[in-house]
Amino acid sequence: MLSAFRSALATPDLRRKILFTLGILVLFRLGQTLPSPGVSYRNVQECIRLIEGSANQSVYSLINLLSGGALLQLSVFALGIMPYITASIIVQLLTVVIPRFEQLKKEGQSGQNKLTQYTRYLTVALAVLQSTGVVALAVRGQLLRNCDTTTYPIVPDSSVFNLVVIVITMTAGTAIIMWFGELITERGIGNGMSLLMFTSIAARLVPEGGNILRTQGGLVFAVVCVFGLAIITSVIFMEQGQRRVPVQYAKRMIGRRMYGGTSTYLPLKVNQSGVIPVIFASSLLYLPQLISQLAASPTGEPSTWKRLVDTYLVDQSSWVHISLYFLLIIFFAYFYVAITFNPDERADEMKKFGGFIPGIRPGRPTSEYLGFVLNRLTLPGSLYLGIIAILPNFFLDMTGQGQNQNFPFGGTAVLIMVGVGLDTVKQIESQLMQRNYEGFLR
Amino acid sequence: MKLFLQICLIASSVLLVLLVLLHRGRGGGLSSLFGGGMQSSLSGSTVVEKNLDRLTLFVAAIWVISAVGVGLLLKVS
Repeated sequence: MLSAFRSALATPDLRRKILFTLGILVLFRLGQTLPSPGVSYRNVQECIRLIEGSANQSVYSLINLLSGGALLQLSVFALGIMPYITASIIVQLLTVVIPRFEQLKKEGQSGQNKLTQYTRYLTVALAVLQSTGVVALAVRGQLLRNCDTTTYPIVPDSSVFNLVVIVITMTAGTAIIMWFGELITERGIGNGMSLLMFTSIAARLVPEGGNILRTQGGLVFAVVCVFGLAIITSVIFMEQGQRRVPVQYAKRMIGRRMYGGTSTYLPLKVNQSGVIPVIFASSLLYLPQLISQLAASPTGEPSTWKRLVDTYLVDQSSWVHISLYFLLIIFFAYFYVAITFNPDERADEMKKFGGFIPGIRPGRPTSEYLGFVLNRLTLPGSLYLGIIAILPNFFLDMTGQGQNQNFPFGGTAVLIMVGVGLDTVKQIESQLMQRNYEGFLR
Repeated sequence: MKLFLQICLIASSVLLVLLVLLHRGRGGGLSSLFGGGMQSSLSGSTVVEKNLDRLTLFVAAIWVISAVGVGLLLKVS
């Protein structure tokens, strides 16, 4: 294991790539702590300290976790990669709805490039929207809840010009993050966007762990660590699991040479959709909450609707919230697999290159078979996703804390971290293999 | 001074967004986000991309300096 690391660093090409990636990640973290111009750093820190002292958690716990705590600090990279993720989700969904997008998706590389370009435009538009929202909430004192805006003004000089400067800066920050991600993908190692996400979550790990150690003592902390390790192991086990559908290719002559005649397999992962269903479901569940908060009148009684939302959807230990979250995850798991994996297309491709699954005729029967296998395979995959995602709600329920998804050793955070980590290690390994070294994973 | 820095910030921000959008997108969308596809774009960077990189870095430096500058002015006042 360690010698593999040494040989990875001994290869000049690979070393340059790894160092480049690390350098960008350092720049990214630095930007996350740099406060936006016009935001009072001291007051923001004071407010965050107040919030962490109390049990009250903000609405944006998951989003804050994904942005590495930068959102609540209102730093220049406050939005993190959320706009990019939202934009790609939207574009991905639109490929089903808009015929032109679907056509572009089928066009191959050039169409894909066009879709990526649309995603980037949409990211900037979303960044403007979201930063405006965040700044507006911060000025009205709703971003950091139990913090008085008169004693600790987050934005001391809240003239319109000043606010516009903050919004534009945050938008540019989002653009820079996007560029960073692309640079890592292009010249570094691994997928840039997911590595950036990994970094922000990993950055929250230590403070959150310290929080548990401080408030609940060493024993609970040890138990949590053991639980975390167990969860990580099970996630790795499930992520690596795949069904290998055997595919036989027919021999054929092209010119004077013989091609094909090999038997390979079509790998179908148990969890084909990754963590995307979890992200979809949680962002959908946050919506009513956000609306009720924005629509709340500053004084007066909360409406019936708001009370319903508060008791059933906001409260993360209520059974309605948990079961709704679970069902949504299962639904989105199937939905996303249906979008990304098209059995008809696969069967067509196989037929074109002279491949077939032994015992099944090419064409329609093959696609039916693939669909059948995939549907059966997705059931345990989606159940596993749902269970891992709602796990923290359960065992924080047992300890009686009003905590939530913010908890970094279970749920969404672990799913994302393990997924990204595995992918990156695999990429480094394939680079090592090219140079005839033995890799990390055996 | 502060107004000058803020105007600098706005200008560099807008420029930065435009420059980043001019780059060729390499993100690949969501499918490759979480351990999905294994696409390898082997095409090297062109001269245009290289110059664009340099220009973006330059504007980003201005952006960072003016952002830090405005923050420092706020702290002093």
